[in-house]
Amino acid sequence: METATRTNKSVEDQVAFLKKQAQQVRLHIVKMIHKAQSGHPGGSLSAADIMTALYFDILKVDPQNPRWPDRDRFVLSKGHACPVWYVCLALRGFFPVEELDTLRQFESRLQGHPVSTKTPGVDATTGSLGIGFAQAIGMALEGKWLKKNYKVYALLGDGEMQEGVIWEAAASANRYKLDNLVAIIDNNNLQNDGFTDSIMPIEPLDKKFEVFGWTTRRIDGHNMEQVLTTLREAKAHRGSPFCIIAQTVKGKGVSFMENVRGWHGKPPSDQELAQAIQEIEGGLK
Amino acid sequence: MSRPMERGSASIPVKVDLRKTDSPTRKSFSERMVEYGEVDKEFVVFESDIGYSTYSYLFGNKYPDRYYNMGIAELGTMAAAAGFAADGRTVIVSGYGVFLTMRAVEVVRSFICYPHLNVKILSSHGGLTAAIDGVTHQATEDIAYMSTLPEMKVLVPCDTVSARGAFDIAMRTPGPVFTRLMRDPLWDIYSPEETFVLGGSKVLRKGDDITLVSYGDIVFQALEAAEILRSKGIEAEVIDMYSVKPFDAETLLASARKTGAVLVAENHQKRNALGYEIATFLFKHRVGTLDGGRRMLFDNLGLDDTFGESGNYFKVIDKYGISARAIAEAAEGLLRKR
Repeated sequence: METATRTNKSVEDQVAFLKKQAQQVRLHIVKMIHKAQSGHPGGSLSAADIMTALYFDILKVDPQNPRWPDRDRFVLSKGHACPVWYVCLALRGFFPVEELDTLRQFESRLQGHPVSTKTPGVDATTGSLGIGFAQAIGMALEGKWLKKNYKVYALLGDGEMQEGVIWEAAASANRYKLDNLVAIIDNNNLQNDGFTDSIMPIEPLDKKFEVFGWTTRRIDGHNMEQVLTTLREAKAHRGSPFCIIAQTVKGKGVSFMENVRGWHGKPPSDQELAQAIQEIEGGLK
Repeated sequence: MSRPMERGSASIPVKVDLRKTDSPTRKSFSERMVEYGEVDKEFVVFESDIGYSTYSYLFGNKYPDRYYNMGIAELGTMAAAAGFAADGRTVIVSGYGVFLTMRAVEVVRSFICYPHLNVKILSSHGGLTAAIDGVTHQATEDIAYMSTLPEMKVLVPCDTVSARGAFDIAMRTPGPVFTRLMRDPLWDIYSPEETFVLGGSKVLRKGDDITLVSYGDIVFQALEAAEILRSKGIEAEVIDMYSVKPFDAETLLASARKTGAVLVAENHQKRNALGYEIATFLFKHRVGTLDGGRRMLFDNLGLDDTFGESGNYFKVIDKYGISARAIAEAAEGLLRKR
């Protein structure tokens, strides 16, 4: 399903469009988490550029028909970052943008972690780290079995690389030659308790996925041109599962949140929100 | 010999003939899965490297493109099955009860039951039927875990006929269904025409003095216990509660009101399984005191807050109090309180 967001514009024009779109996404993220006074801003902001490129260029989805059988699948394995996902879904028209204000509220469709039976456009319930990636394996297997052309995209946190099930899933993607599967690791190097390197080192991720039979790329996850061209390469890739390790900054776009452990799961105050908005809007220039 | 009776969801034999079988329920379930695969070509099977034990390999041999061996990785297997089922497809996951219901229990809960996916769990080595393998392979808490999960249905067939019936129930019931199966062959009691339904049960023997409720392999012990009790002048009613969740409350209630004494015997921890469920149910329905002020008698048998051990199945179930002898003794003891 082609939509207004998919254009034949040059890469430069599309990058410029996506950069503006990503700033809108970031604004909505900080506003909705402030409104809810609960949620995970750091990991949502680090994934904002990747998610924007996915939802406004890469993914073949139909907001009018969220369960369209031929759609690309998307799984947010780092389910706590669902604010960034909800924003992208709302801006793509899966549900009204005003609904973002209901994040985590009583009887809202926007639960604290993603729920497939409640939110239009959410293909898999996630929130327990590692499990979303393993579910994406099953989705890719089904696509292969049905001989469908859709791809399955999974966004993973780097912290969840510490979960054993990640490597069960990585091995099975190779065993079943799942070249319809793209994993993107939001490598912001921070987890709840501190820097990933100090809690439980996970590197070298590229080498690890390579020996598991994946094609890997390392990119700057905030360089929209790199993000876009690498995702387009992954989309066209055949012959092996594809893993993008995107170097990112947790809290990207809001100075006092950037690379600070405490902003994993904390909402901004009124004053902090005002500053965050100012900084994100400032970045629009 | 058997003749149809009125109560419950299907016909019931009055005198039960136990016929030795060489097919364990795990095998019968898988054989039915192969047959069903011919008719319904839309479901697939996930295995985690014990296909030659669960007999799921029979399906894999016949339909290699619908059979996914995910290796020794029960957690990843269960999660991948959830992904395959995400858009509504039926997926069967085969494995050992201890691993599927404990290592993968969070996936079953949050990513299969919560989104109400059509994942059907073929769970072998239920209870002490895996006696010879020791505690690590004995699923003696599986019913507690699975029946506690919202949306989950729980079935435990006792023979090859009801194992096939359980497969059919699982396939025609929307959402997740857990079926506990046995390691070793025991007996057959049902005729091939017997039908089984979700929430159904079978009254295998009529009696007025005490109701013996069981499921799976212990049904045979309950039947034998009823014979022992008859020799002492006690007539026991025996119910095969093959649908553990939901269970056949109507049949249970009628029998309990008639006999005034219920003894539940199960190959499981005493805690948090059918015995506890029935006790709660009876209490809620004011069966505690019967007409005329007679007190309702109740007891349940199973592993008493302990683990099992390796050994001959019959010796192990006797030591842990769920053999025919133990059930008959408990029944007599219970009735002495009257």
